[in-house]
Amino acid sequence: MDFNPCMKHKLVRKTVRDFSEAELGPIAHEIDRDARFPWQVIEKMRVLNYFGLQIPRKYGGAEVDSISYAITIEELSKVCASIGLCVTVHNSVGAQPIKSFGTEKQKECFLPPMASGERIGAFCLTEANAGSDASGVETNAVEVEDGYIINGTKIFVTNGGICGYALIFATMTTGAGKPFTNVFIVEKEMAGFSVGEIEDLCGMRANPVSSLFLEDCKVPFDNCLGQPGSGIKIALTALDSGRIGIAAQALGIAQGAFEAAIKYSKERQQFKKPISSFQTIQNYLADMATEIDAGRLLLYRACALKDENKPFGTEAAMAKLYCSSVANRTTNLAMQIHGGYGYSKEYDVERYFRDAKVTEIYEGTSEVQRLVISRAVLSQHT
Amino acid sequence: MKDSIKEIWVFGDYRNYFQNRVTLQLLSRATELAKMLQAKVCAVVFGDQVDEWVNEYIAHGADRVLVIDHPDLKNYKIETYVNLMIRLIGKQRPEIILVGATNFGREFAPRIAKRLKTGLSADCVDLDINDEGLLVQTAPSFGGNILAQIITPECKPQMATVRPGTFQEIPHNYERTGEIVRIPMPADLPKERVHLIFSERSPQRSQRIEEAKVVICGGRGMGSKKKFKKLTELGELMNAEIGATRPVVYANWIEADALIGQAGKHIKPKVLFAFGISGAIQHTAAINNAEFIIAVNKNPNAPMMAMADIAIVADANQVCTAMIKELKVRIRG
Amino acid sequence: MMKMLKLVTCIKQVPMVSELPWDPRTGTLKRNLADGMINPACRYALEAALILKNTYGAEITAITMGSDIAEEVLREAFAMGADRGILVSDPKMAGADTLATSLVLSRAVQTACADFDLILCGCHTSDSETAQVGPQMIEELDIPGVTYVDRLELDGRLLRLQRLSDNFIETLEMELPGLVTITTQRQAPRYVPLAGLQDAFTDKDISRLSLEDLDLDPELTGAKGSPTKIINVFSPTAEKDNIIMKGSARKIVQQLFDQFDDKIGGAIGKDIKDYQESQ
Repeated sequence: MDFNPCMKHKLVRKTVRDFSEAELGPIAHEIDRDARFPWQVIEKMRVLNYFGLQIPRKYGGAEVDSISYAITIEELSKVCASIGLCVTVHNSVGAQPIKSFGTEKQKECFLPPMASGERIGAFCLTEANAGSDASGVETNAVEVEDGYIINGTKIFVTNGGICGYALIFATMTTGAGKPFTNVFIVEKEMAGFSVGEIEDLCGMRANPVSSLFLEDCKVPFDNCLGQPGSGIKIALTALDSGRIGIAAQALGIAQGAFEAAIKYSKERQQFKKPISSFQTIQNYLADMATEIDAGRLLLYRACALKDENKPFGTEAAMAKLYCSSVANRTTNLAMQIHGGYGYSKEYDVERYFRDAKVTEIYEGTSEVQRLVISRAVLSQHT
Repeated sequence: MKDSIKEIWVFGDYRNYFQNRVTLQLLSRATELAKMLQAKVCAVVFGDQVDEWVNEYIAHGADRVLVIDHPDLKNYKIETYVNLMIRLIGKQRPEIILVGATNFGREFAPRIAKRLKTGLSADCVDLDINDEGLLVQTAPSFGGNILAQIITPECKPQMATVRPGTFQEIPHNYERTGEIVRIPMPADLPKERVHLIFSERSPQRSQRIEEAKVVICGGRGMGSKKKFKKLTELGELMNAEIGATRPVVYANWIEADALIGQAGKHIKPKVLFAFGISGAIQHTAAINNAEFIIAVNKNPNAPMMAMADIAIVADANQVCTAMIKELKVRIRG
Repeated sequence: MMKMLKLVTCIKQVPMVSELPWDPRTGTLKRNLADGMINPACRYALEAALILKNTYGAEITAITMGSDIAEEVLREAFAMGADRGILVSDPKMAGADTLATSLVLSRAVQTACADFDLILCGCHTSDSETAQVGPQMIEELDIPGVTYVDRLELDGRLLRLQRLSDNFIETLEMELPGLVTITTQRQAPRYVPLAGLQDAFTDKDISRLSLEDLDLDPELTGAKGSPTKIINVFSPTAEKDNIIMKGSARKIVQQLFDQFDDKIGGAIGKDIKDYQESQ
């Protein structure tokens, strides 16, 4: 077992770090404050393959391994979690389902514009009465002569305001049979599709999270993903990958807050000494460092399993559960170390603190992760 | 025979005021080193109608001047100059050769050292003679964060390029006399392969900021693009050039050529104002040679404040505004 | 048919400045602890080569001299668009100064890419900062060369260069083959694309050259072949005993201008002392 990062992964980290610090660092504070999506930076990211991370080469992607993927999301999120979020949602739950469940024709049609970042993907499961309960989807699709008619409202859609393709989960019924869930690739120009107001959220403010409205939205047959009734399976599979992304994002936020805390604790003087010389602060830093490292190892294990084509859902759930909780504890301690300055918007820890919370909520709450993990644990020990 | 008397050579770079000052500074230090070595100071001058410089160098301490005066030498020609220098060194065998660390000097000296297979240290900020009579060359590395003392124990000549402004020139004395050795232009030099097509004095900021006496540098702590622009107004009042840190340049508050840092320009002003700059090492590596630093930052513990001679704990933008106001009143007359 | 343009870039791995491995208390250098990166000016040289490649078509050979971990800068060069990577590595080369380094690199160019058209080096490195290896390679290879180049364009075999040298903007010309050293003033290097980075580890091979491969006498390389010796290293950046000013902006500024009139006023060439007060 080799715990040292290989040269490739070191270089991936350095590459993404150089880019993030140069392009996102100077604006991270401002785009959070103004809830602005930075299109100019996105343009630069498009040609550097950030939107085709795990899409196969033949569709224009970079086809990176999962550890490279996690490192990329971590380093983006360390500087600007809103953009880390945009990239991971697009790549994991946006493009991955098309890659895994799409027909060759669908892949040829939808993946290249996603890989180039021309179209940003969104994953639309959550509704007023559905979220953790994927089967509670009330948006419905009806088959007509030349496609489907979809009606319903999706809420809290990450990338909602900027998406080119939205994966819409909708319930269908045929005849007297049981209702089932299907996934539809809805393109932003389609009649009956519209974007609601951008949500005013606690964190991740540079990501245009919004509602999406489907009012008699007509979708061709070709845009239905997977077999009829495979919606739940597609959702769960996508979310397994999504968890790796969110765990990486949480880790990036934690690492960012941790580094800010280290720097501040060395600079800030009290009683004529840097506060890093006090044992209380040292204990905080030791806990933060240990937890971040533990989270990273959990995450890389899930990535390695995924790259070996082995089941990784439970391990990804553990990584997501733990890293998101580390992100919250770390940002909390980082703010504590900063004292009053940390509570001020002038310092980045305040943003890290707000951004961290949602990692325990979206793409499966911590409670849902525990459900996934406990099911696996119980089934192994029957 | 000259063999018994050691010589310290100084390459006479005179192309404009700035380069000529470096030569005079080197002559000054060479005179002091020569005393320690019981050596003589010799200036080497190539060019077309250079008597003015020959006399000036004697007035500033040269005991001897080697001159090659020829119309072909009007413009600097790197290969020709290297070839001429090598021929002179071969005949005269100087102990030490000093060259100003100008762009030309830093192209010229390495090539001389390579031909002679001797050592050369770059951009020295101090020169001394040790107990063994060797030249101790203090050269910066890591953006001036580290200084290394270097000797060339076995090879001769010992060579160094020296950072402009390191030494004080001595006042001229036109009563001084020295030996002027005029050497004819050799006819058998290899043909120059690098051709100067066009040359003009630079109007660019790039050079101005590097040479500026006062630089005002702004960082993210200025608050916004609009507030950052106030530095320009302050700059006009102070005859100062405006520089910026990387975040500011990336945020498009100012053009990229204002970047002061490891990947940008290195400056050495007499007075540097640092407004709202935390002091990342990529930036501070480029300002180590500022003589007097005034830093303004709300955070008294920012690294930039520790580097400063005067650390002003206040909002950078407010101090900038106050300075503009105050200066307008004070420099009315 | 015209032969494909052959470019060589010499790149050096240097410690990241942000992690300067210097301990001012113990007075020691901890270079091995620092993460490495491509020297900034070398990155600009590589960018200049990549632009030539995009414009005229070319094969780019990246050469570095260093220990095994210097492979990293070659992989990064691949990711940016270099075609071949040469790692010159030999324990006997440790401790080389610019004289020895320029010899080894020149010999590596002659061995790995004897029919080169243009060598592009960074104008100086961020660690030792000598700016001497480029000009010394010009001598070793006996080719025309120009340092501190900002712009370059090719007209057949004629290379036209622009540089800012000691306050003069110069336009120069030379015939290929030649060598240029590139500044960090003009074309900012491209970011590394992530797909290219994956390919850099799968599709590309690095050739390793030892002193034996270069047919070089060990006496002429490493510390033995270096006429300069470092006798002492120290840090000049001790913390200053500085003056701290606090209070209202207006009061601070007045105090500053009154007390430091000689420094500030002297530098800006204006009298800034408040005479109304002193009269």
